Order: sequence, then structure tokens, then C-alpha cells
Amino acid sequence: MRSVFSKAILAAAQADSKVLLLTGDHGYALFDEFRKCLPAQFINAGIAEQNMVGVAAGLAKAGFKPIVYGLSAFVPIRVLEQIKMDVCYENLPVVFMGDGAGLVYSSLGSSHQSTEDIAVLRCIPNISILSPCDVYEMQYAMDQALRFESPFYVRMGKSDIGQVHQGPVSVPVGDLVPVRTGTQNNIVFLATGSMVKTAVTLAETIDAAVWSAPGLKPINKNQVNNIALHTKTLVTIEEHSIMGGLGSLVAEIVSETGNTRVVRMGVQDRFSQKCGSYDYLLKEHGIDVAALLPQLSSILATD
Amino acid sequence: MTAFAPHQLRQTVLRMAYSGSTVHIGCAFSIIEIMSVLYRNHLRYPGDNPAATLRDYLVLSKGHGVMAQYACLYEKNWLTTTDIENYFKDGSKLKGLSDAHVVGCEVTSGSLGHGLSVGVGMALAAKLNKSDQYCYAIVGDGEMNEGTMWEAILFAKQQALDNLIVIVDENGFQAMGKTHEVLGLGSLKDKFIAFGFDAIAVDGHDETALDNALIELKNNKNENPKAIIARTVKGKGVSFMENENSWHYTRLTQDTFDLAMAELEPVV
Repeated sequence: MRSVFSKAILAAAQADSKVLLLTGDHGYALFDEFRKCLPAQFINAGIAEQNMVGVAAGLAKAGFKPIVYGLSAFVPIRVLEQIKMDVCYENLPVVFMGDGAGLVYSSLGSSHQSTEDIAVLRCIPNISILSPCDVYEMQYAMDQALRFESPFYVRMGKSDIGQVHQGPVSVPVGDLVPVRTGTQNNIVFLATGSMVKTAVTLAETIDAAVWSAPGLKPINKNQVNNIALHTKTLVTIEEHSIMGGLGSLVAEIVSETGNTRVVRMGVQDRFSQKCGSYDYLLKEHGIDVAALLPQLSSILATD
Repeated sequence: MTAFAPHQLRQTVLRMAYSGSTVHIGCAFSIIEIMSVLYRNHLRYPGDNPAATLRDYLVLSKGHGVMAQYACLYEKNWLTTTDIENYFKDGSKLKGLSDAHVVGCEVTSGSLGHGLSVGVGMALAAKLNKSDQYCYAIVGDGEMNEGTMWEAILFAKQQALDNLIVIVDENGFQAMGKTHEVLGLGSLKDKFIAFGFDAIAVDGHDETALDNALIELKNNKNENPKAIIARTVKGKGVSFMENENSWHYTRLTQDTFDLAMAELEPVV
């Protein structure tokens, strides 16, 4: 996924000298090729993220196409007001890349973990939010964002867990992507980013359908409603707080139109307590397969 | 008639403030001469077009002084008499803080510590485009409390932006008191020099001194960003407003409006 990202931005920058890559001193090896090929289009703004986003806004106002890279704990969280006022208020074409979203930096603690980025960005006008689950969705996300028509946030979570899709994704902007069909009529899974694979694993145990949501804003509300019409329970799964992310937005949509129950699986309202591997942190937060299977059973039991 | 004559700009500010029953008069008055000299002698708008691609940029990072800029935009005929007379009326376009949606305003400020970074980005864009555009950024001394200001200053030096001219409106006050009593800044000139800028301190109400400082700094094409520390008086021009921080918050009455307007009549 990360190599798809770095290749996509290199290609975009080679094709258009107005494309600039800004980083707040992050991405040591990720941008080696970019720095070698296009040193004049690479700006290390130093460990000063807020200024970096203001500068990106100024560059965009003057006709440049900035890509702002950071860890998602810093971009967008630390620079939220700059995203709101400097970039989104003027609808400037700045692409924000939030790397390591969710619990990826499991051993570094809450400062580097990010389970609130979708929630805080969703209510800022003009910005689109993408949350790809594999290399194919990453390419799909970059194809949209690198058109530089408005602000984008691309959330890059755990990136080395293999592919979900078999080939390129080419659905309309905001659509969910079918991942698997199933005979189970009572439950359908909607998942985003790293948790799509987990959703598939869970769904296989009961032969349920799974949809991936690479686009969280905008999202095709009609499609969500149509999916909801054909099941009793929608189960959402995300490596993000259950407040404000995919689960919330699905609940907001469905609550206005139907009677479908929405069960939100994700990070509860708590910080990580302990240190450990990525898999350990998923377990600590109760979003690994072993912890979610019993929840699935109880959902089925109450249907 | 002198273009952008300070007393006329102040009268426009008073008319806006009175008709809109607004605050922020003092912090607009402290930057009147700075605005006047920039608009009269320095800002270049090809074709007199406020959106011209190769214009100079004027960034009002201390957005609270925006009425001073509106007065200049009015004299440029980019704002209408209706805009001025309807200030703060329901559905009107001019807000109480600098807003990039207004023709001639480059940044949306008011949340302090934003405009300078955006201005630095525009100065960098001019450098990347190899154009001779300048970016003038008017910042407040109170605004220098913000950490982002110092991030922007470091970055401007690192990028060798000698087309960036930061003008600090050093009126000595911020919202709740004197700057040195709230979060002391010491010598801003020394600080800018320590950060690698060329810096000059001048009387911010002396138009000739401001003009000379701008010319001198722009002639130093040495890759150093520039700063002018403009020592100003909050509320300058109206005796009962000068150095009275309450005029950051006070609204005009008919009496104070008349008194202030009378003080601003040109000396014959």
C-alpha cells in the first residue's frame, strides 16, 4: 500500500511540476525515490506541522498542488484548525496523507495512535475522506485525490496485511465496494481500511456479505440504505473510535430511513493502556477476530 | 489629494464602526499608516486587478485590524459605499476579521498565528515560480505569542524568502493588557535578527520612515527574509482612544463618533 502511495505521488509530480510533497520530517525511507528524482518538489518543513499546513495553503492559493504527508496522529489531529481555516474554508486542492492510522504504532503509545481522525474531519466542510483497505483501494484513492480539485484526506492504516480485492477498484466516488456475498440474511458487514479483512474472516463463519467503504466522505447514502433494506443488522467494523467514524455515519444514514439495527465494532472510548505488537493492541481493544466472534454470536442470538 | 491619506482611512473606519456598532477600532488605527504606505507605494496589482496572478500579496495576519484594510479596499474601489455603510448588517459580506472570500483580502485570519504561514507559502510559491512578487505580512505583537509564528519565521529563513516582509504592529497591547505583562516578548527586532531576518525598527506612524525601511529592506536581495518592527500607538489618531486598550472592545456612540470624526479633520 505504501509503495502504491509513493509511486502514485512520484508519477503525479513527474507529470506536473506544480505537484509538491511536504512532510514534517517524517517518511525517512518512504520518499527516497521522490527526493532523488525531484528534489526541487520535495519540502521538508521540519518538525512544525501547523506551519507546514499553512504553507501548503499558501502554495495552493498560488497555483501549486501540495501533498502534505504526516502520521495521522499529527496530520490531521495536530493541524486541525489549519485544515479547517487555511485549507477547507477556501476549498483549496491540498491532499493530506495520514500514515499509520489506527493502532499501527502499537508500541509507541497513544501519542502516535490515531482513532479520532475520521471523526474530527467529517464535520469540516469541503474535505473528502478516503480510507483504503489494500493496494487496489489505495490506487483508487490516489486517483481521486491527485486530481487536485478540492481538499482530500487519505487515511493509511495497517498496510502490510495483504489484499482484499482481486483487481483494480473502479466504483463511483462514495460507493461501497462488494467484497463477498453470502446466504446469511440477518447480518451484513460494512468495514473500512484495515478492518475489511477482519470483517471477511468473521463473515466467512456465518456466510454473510461484506462491503468495503473506501470513501467515508462523501458516501453513497442510497447504497447504504439499500444494503440496510435487505438485512436485519448492519455490523460496522473499523480501526477507529466507534464514535464519529464509519459506524456513526452508517447509523446516521440508516436512522433516518429504516429500522435496521446498526452494531458498531471498533475502538471504544478509551486510550491504549499497554504496549505491545499490533496484534496485541487489537486484542487489548477487543477488535481482533477472537474477541469479535463472541459478539457476533450474541448479535445473531438477539436477531 | 494624497492617496490613502491616513485621516481619511481613519474616518472610513469610524464610519464602518459606527454604522455596524463594532469593536476593534484601536487595533485598526494602529496599522493605518502601514496600510497607507503599502497601498500607496508598494503593492503592485497588475491591471489594478486584486486577483492578478502576479500581484504582490498583502496578508493581514492580525485579522482584527481588518477595518483599516477595508478602508483601503474602498479607496481602491474594490469595495462599494454600500459595503461600507452596511457593515455588520444582516446578510452583508464584510466580517469583523480578515476573510479570504473578500476581494483584496488574501487570508482568513482572526484565529491568530495562521496568516503568516499562509503568506510564507505564497512567498515560497513566488520563489518557485521565479517571479518578483513580494509578500507583505502584517502581524500583531500580541500574535507573536503564537508558536506557529516562530515556526513560520524559521521556515521562511530556511527557504531564503527575501521576498517576505513581516511588519509587526508593535502597539504594546493585547486583548487583556500590555504585551510585556501578559507574555513578554522582549526585543522583537533582536529576535528577528537572531532568527536570520534583516530587521529594522521604525515609528509605525511615520510614513516616510516606513517607506524608507521598506525600500531599504527590499534592496537587500541577500536571501534573508525581512522584518519591520513598527512601533505604534493603539487607537492612534483620536486622542481619547490612544493607548486606551478599552477601544479594542468599545462601541461608538453618536457623541464619541462626532468627537472622533472632528479630531480627524485635516489640519488646514
